[in-house]
Amino acid sequence: MTVTTRRRWFGNALSYLLLFLTVAFFLLPLIWLIGTAFKPRLLSFSVPPTWFFQPVIDNFFTIFRQMPVLQYLRNSVVVAVGSTILAVVLGVPAGYGLARHPGRTSNALAFALLVIRMVPPVAMLIPFYLLMRDFHLLGTYWSLILIDAVLNVSFVAWFMRGYYAGVPRDMEEAACCDGCTRFGAFARVSLPLALPGVVTIALFSFIASWNDFLFAMLLTGRNTRTLPLGILESYRAYEVSWNLMAAVSLFAVVPVILLGFALQRYYVSGLTMGAVRE
Amino acid sequence: MISSRTTDLASPRGNAPERRRRFRLGGRTGLAFWVAPALLLVGVFAIYPVAYSIYISFFKYKLTDPTKSQTFVGFGNYLSALADPSFVVAVRNSLAFVVGAVGVELLFGLALAVLLNRELPGMALVRSILIAPLTLTPLVVALVWGALYNADFGPVSYYLKQLGFQLGRGPVGEPSLALASLVVIDVWQWTPLMALLLFTGLRSQPPELHDAAQIDGASHWQRFLHVSLPLLKPTILVALVIRTMDALKLFDSVFAITGGGPGRATEVVNYYIFKVGLTYFDIGYAAAMSNLLLIIIVVLSALYLRVLRTPGGAS
Repeated sequence: MTVTTRRRWFGNALSYLLLFLTVAFFLLPLIWLIGTAFKPRLLSFSVPPTWFFQPVIDNFFTIFRQMPVLQYLRNSVVVAVGSTILAVVLGVPAGYGLARHPGRTSNALAFALLVIRMVPPVAMLIPFYLLMRDFHLLGTYWSLILIDAVLNVSFVAWFMRGYYAGVPRDMEEAACCDGCTRFGAFARVSLPLALPGVVTIALFSFIASWNDFLFAMLLTGRNTRTLPLGILESYRAYEVSWNLMAAVSLFAVVPVILLGFALQRYYVSGLTMGAVRE
Repeated sequence: MISSRTTDLASPRGNAPERRRRFRLGGRTGLAFWVAPALLLVGVFAIYPVAYSIYISFFKYKLTDPTKSQTFVGFGNYLSALADPSFVVAVRNSLAFVVGAVGVELLFGLALAVLLNRELPGMALVRSILIAPLTLTPLVVALVWGALYNADFGPVSYYLKQLGFQLGRGPVGEPSLALASLVVIDVWQWTPLMALLLFTGLRSQPPELHDAAQIDGASHWQRFLHVSLPLLKPTILVALVIRTMDALKLFDSVFAITGGGPGRATEVVNYYIFKVGLTYFDIGYAAAMSNLLLIIIVVLSALYLRVLRTPGGAS
């Protein structure tokens, strides 16, 4: 072995060792969560911690007896899907318009959208709570869908503005010459062209809304509670039960992990888009 | 207006340059057509709350007060916030949290991005695994880590004790460790974001520059320091803005694990405002403090963007 190949071999071995440690760090809490969901209560508190054991599914029977898990799941789906649709339907054309009509107004609007994303959630929450109370929308799906949609729509518009800045107009203009209306050109040409961006931004909106806890805690009622509230309830119900908390958590966590994996190309490109196109 | 334009286009007068101009025609009205629906939603449900929050911050207004009286106090709420030791401690905790969490995430993320960029077999799998923490519900992450940190039964506490550390009331029970323990949670969830961002930034760099530096005899480290890092600056700054904005809004883990304690060790500003506004219902005061927080966020972001716009910084 020459010095260079030996050094390279050593470098690779070191890289793999570091990667192994990193992956272990990021995976162990997740493995603990999944494992605990299949542990009897006493085992979940064992000292030293147990990593290998006979899995049981009793926790799932218990939580289904104790709380309407499926209803929480349905509420989470309704709110996340509802707010995502609203944010995308309103936000994508807005982002398109901002990109296609550059100028002072467009820049000012884009900046305003960014500021909305910076506003501390509690600052919006109190007035929003009072507003919803006056509209008698507290405890309905609408209150949560609306606030999630508002926060997401500014993000969607901001993101799509950057996305459309990178999509050439030639094809839209061609469509326009062929007798399409302006909106027709958008719907038949610009929208399909930007589909990867739309998928990406819908994914981000969905995950943000699905994972929200603070807004859900204040705006939902008995019938509209979402999964994070169910998780907290399972944790605190009678006695601290890590196993039950873990079991309910899987309902919240597994769908987004699967979505993230399935659409990872979009997900990573979305992260980058947000960063590169400042 | 749209249909009339179509007929216009079909008319013989519409030669190519004019058609193009007409396509772009519309100026402000065109913009309004596209953004109006979104602005309506944002205006009613975001601008209104923000405006209300500014308005009410000049009043003494307690929801628990049976008369619901609003007394104008001018800048009184802002002045009491600045003189309120709890608020000052909360701001300090938040800033310490941001510096700790975002700083570690940047260094750890950068190291990880460099590792990922080595393109060894199996890297694609590692990248997929790294996505998982990003998608997780922060409340679940908080509850999991809260259990891991538990002084009596938590695995983290157990293994740390085995390693000879004296933890007393556990990582989140000791005032000196509590905030750092929350930093670890944030690092766990968001370092992958930093790493993936920086990795994509590194991969998009033109290899010619590295080759040229190598020919000039630059070492690995020198190439990283003088070629990769300067090129990565815009990506780093935007990643810092995103993370700083979010880290200042820390809520879930404080709510679920420490409740701001022990003492005030983890009472961050977002949580303190929540407590004042939504458990004491001191609305005017909470609004004043959240406006101060917004100012902090905007100033910090503006500072970052300023650095970003310096020559050689913009992409």
